[in-house]
Amino acid sequence: MDFAWSDQQRELLDAVSRFAREQLDYEVIENDRQAIFNHEAWKKCGEFGIQGLLVPAEYGGLGQDPLTTVAVLERLGYACKDNGLLFSINAHMWTAVTPLVYNGTEAQKKKFLPGLCNGDLIGGNAMSEPNSGSDAFSLGTTATKQGDKYVLNGSKIFVTNGPVADVLVVFANVDKARGQDGITAFLVEKGMAGFDPSHKIEKMGVRTSPMAEVFFENCEVPAENLLGKEGGGAFLFTRSMTWERGCILASAVGAMQRLLEKCIRYANERKQGGQSIGKYQLVASKIVDMKLRVESARHMLYHYGWVAGHRKAVYLEAAMTKLHLADAWMKCAEDAIQIHGGYGYMTEYEVERELRDAIGAKLYSGTSEIQRNIIASLIGL
Amino acid sequence: MTQPVTKILVPFKSVPDPYEAAGPDGSGSGAKSVINPFDEIAIEEALRIRERGEASEIVGLTIGAPAVDEQIRAALAMGVDRAIRIDDARALDPYAVARILRAAVEKESPQFVIIGKQAVDDDSNQVGQMLAGLLGWPQATFVSKLEFLDNRTRARCARETDAGLEVIEINLPAVITSDLRLNEPRYVSLPALMKARKKPIEVLTCEQLGVKVDPLTTTIATARPAKRAAGTRVESVEELVIKLKQEAKVV
Amino acid sequence: MTAKTLILLEHDRRQVKRPSLHAIDAARQLGGDFALLLLGEGLEEMAKSVATCGASAVLMADDAALAEPLADRYATVIADAFRKIEATTLLGTSSTFSKDVLPRAAALLDAPMLTDVLAIEEQNGAIAYRRPINAGSMLATVQLAGQRRVLSVRASAFEAPSADAPACPIESLPIDATSLPNGMQLVSREERISDRPDLIEARVVIGGGRPLKDKETFDRLVGGLADVLGAAIGATRAAVDTGLAPNDYQIGQTGKVIAPELYIALGISGAIQHLAGIKDSRVIVAINKDPDAPIFQMATYGLVGDLHQIVPQLIEALGRE
Repeated sequence: MDFAWSDQQRELLDAVSRFAREQLDYEVIENDRQAIFNHEAWKKCGEFGIQGLLVPAEYGGLGQDPLTTVAVLERLGYACKDNGLLFSINAHMWTAVTPLVYNGTEAQKKKFLPGLCNGDLIGGNAMSEPNSGSDAFSLGTTATKQGDKYVLNGSKIFVTNGPVADVLVVFANVDKARGQDGITAFLVEKGMAGFDPSHKIEKMGVRTSPMAEVFFENCEVPAENLLGKEGGGAFLFTRSMTWERGCILASAVGAMQRLLEKCIRYANERKQGGQSIGKYQLVASKIVDMKLRVESARHMLYHYGWVAGHRKAVYLEAAMTKLHLADAWMKCAEDAIQIHGGYGYMTEYEVERELRDAIGAKLYSGTSEIQRNIIASLIGL
Repeated sequence: MTQPVTKILVPFKSVPDPYEAAGPDGSGSGAKSVINPFDEIAIEEALRIRERGEASEIVGLTIGAPAVDEQIRAALAMGVDRAIRIDDARALDPYAVARILRAAVEKESPQFVIIGKQAVDDDSNQVGQMLAGLLGWPQATFVSKLEFLDNRTRARCARETDAGLEVIEINLPAVITSDLRLNEPRYVSLPALMKARKKPIEVLTCEQLGVKVDPLTTTIATARPAKRAAGTRVESVEELVIKLKQEAKVV
Repeated sequence: MTAKTLILLEHDRRQVKRPSLHAIDAARQLGGDFALLLLGEGLEEMAKSVATCGASAVLMADDAALAEPLADRYATVIADAFRKIEATTLLGTSSTFSKDVLPRAAALLDAPMLTDVLAIEEQNGAIAYRRPINAGSMLATVQLAGQRRVLSVRASAFEAPSADAPACPIESLPIDATSLPNGMQLVSREERISDRPDLIEARVVIGGGRPLKDKETFDRLVGGLADVLGAAIGATRAAVDTGLAPNDYQIGQTGKVIAPELYIALGISGAIQHLAGIKDSRVIVAINKDPDAPIFQMATYGLVGDLHQIVPQLIEALGRE
């Protein structure tokens, strides 16, 4: 087993590290406080090539493999403290870009992918509803066919990028009688009549990632905006969700590495009782465990990345990666606060924000409970 | 009658990444290499000159073993049109480099050479000036602003000196060395990096270039400088003033 | 006359810059006789002022064509003088002036050059030179081959010469202005008159970083502290980039290297490139609100806190005499 990066991967990853260090290491405290989305940084990432990493070159992407992609996201997470920006980029990549690549018509791909790749367009999806979260497929939004269009009615909640999206992949049911087999995906564009994404949702963490509750009131969507086929929505969702599970916490591995280094520095610098606090075993032990968590998270992530490039069905690896990385990030953030003592509680030290950002990881892309259920069912229980 | 600027030669050096080189003890591991930051500024300036329509070809050049091709690709990804690597893996000194560059200038006949004022590993700050002397060309060193005059036969340069800013005008062809504030280099995007893999790199030996030089400088040892004695934290202005007066006796 | 070493002195058209005289100590360590060289216009008084430093002669290249330090002309004249006295070593102290002309002169003399020499020693029976590399994080010991060499030495690493030797001859070099290179012209030069000491020579230096936010705050806090201590003012690259201070205040790897008795760093985090410029200060004080800032590892005394509160208190406490 060769654990080394190829020359090409190394050059690419070095370029990413440098880009992130020079262009994405901006002040986040105030943006987080006011829940401001950094659109300029989004555009820089697009120009740099992030959003289109997995998209074939002919549609404006870079045609990279999944392993290289998660390594890129890890590097971004290390240098960029704005976890919300990276969360928005991830939502865009897995819930809008990926379904278009797999299921888009030639016309849809040509219309949306170049802009979604280069930072001009922002995408996302709308699946969860007030009454259907973990039980996603019991959604209530309907899509009624009328001639050459579909009319959507209903509401969606927890729509990441909703307030700023140019296009959303919206899941609605064309025939409730068919249950899950009626779920269909539609491309709803900003400005379409009857589509209201303006109700912002304020969150505990990743606050710089905009989120909305969106409403469809007789929203007319042209037939050419049907994504995939009628009744194909559940499968399309499951596939994009599997990508999301495997990849969305790649940048968290970078964030954890950053936290680990911050804790080591602090433990060496901070002196109490005549010595660095890092010399006290209770503190050192927490940092050692943090190191183990970062390493195991990274290895699991890279393994998922490799497998995703070599096999079609990666449900197990994706769920394990999501579950393990979410737990690891949360624990790292919690311990980082403890190690920093009172300073860890202060906004200025940017440790408490990491915990607020990390808690969401156990909730989005399928709660940790859901991941456990998936894994259980896939290991024969 | 000198021609208006059409070709710019930008020599650059591959150096250990100064950002990574610090390390816990400052000794530098040299694990990762980058284009010397000052040379990157020179490349950026050449690109901006071309974007203004005042040059038509930017040629990058570096001296080194095949490993430096990575930095050449970074230069090509920034926008350099073509690149030359002089295949020579020896530890050269500035005068040897300047003599090799002179041969390259004679081969390429650029209207203009722009190079970083110093390499951040060696900190010599000599190559540009030596090259200008060997060519008998005017030079402008530590340049923070550059513009062309008189149908691109002269250049007006602002230089950062110990006394402040100085502005000179020089005839072309000339050698310019770039200082930090000349510009902020563009970052290399991933699409550009991938396209750069297709641009050719011309490899020449010194022999093919018609030059034979040996460095006259030999490094016989390197060592870390003596560490300063560890200091102390003070908790207040009062405590600081007392220590400065009584302990350090410096105010 | 002949001399083994030729020393290029620096002046500001009024006086010889005293740090440039420290090259004499380096010449003494190399052994053999040395001559001093001044270029410019109206050099008599300056030449007389250095005639008792123990040189074999003071050479003046005095001509209207040399009124401005244009590298193409200066390097040519320096190389001619070097050949005339059959010297083998060309010396100067490190400055933007010497860095501009000495390498070019080296090329005209077919000689290698070493920048910023800190010490001269003997290794394996031959002369070796110690100089900083990697922003001063390492010291390299190097040897030179060849008949001739050019060196710029760091003034603060060498001693000031005594000026009690009998006055040496002052020689005027013949200059043929029409044969000098003519491709460069001076347009303008900043000449800021200040009653603060020179940054390189000052006993106390106050350095300001980007957290000082704007020029007004920089001038008030850094300037205020400098005033009460009779100090010179320096700045980090970041501070100069954002317009808080002019470029000639910049201290660091690519700015000025200083070695004062006391350096007080205000709002400076301590990037390696800045530390390269201050590490030889005898006492370093760092005031920064970030306890993790690298500068605290180098500071003799470190005070963590908000400089906007601390500096006015410090100015007041030090002014209370």
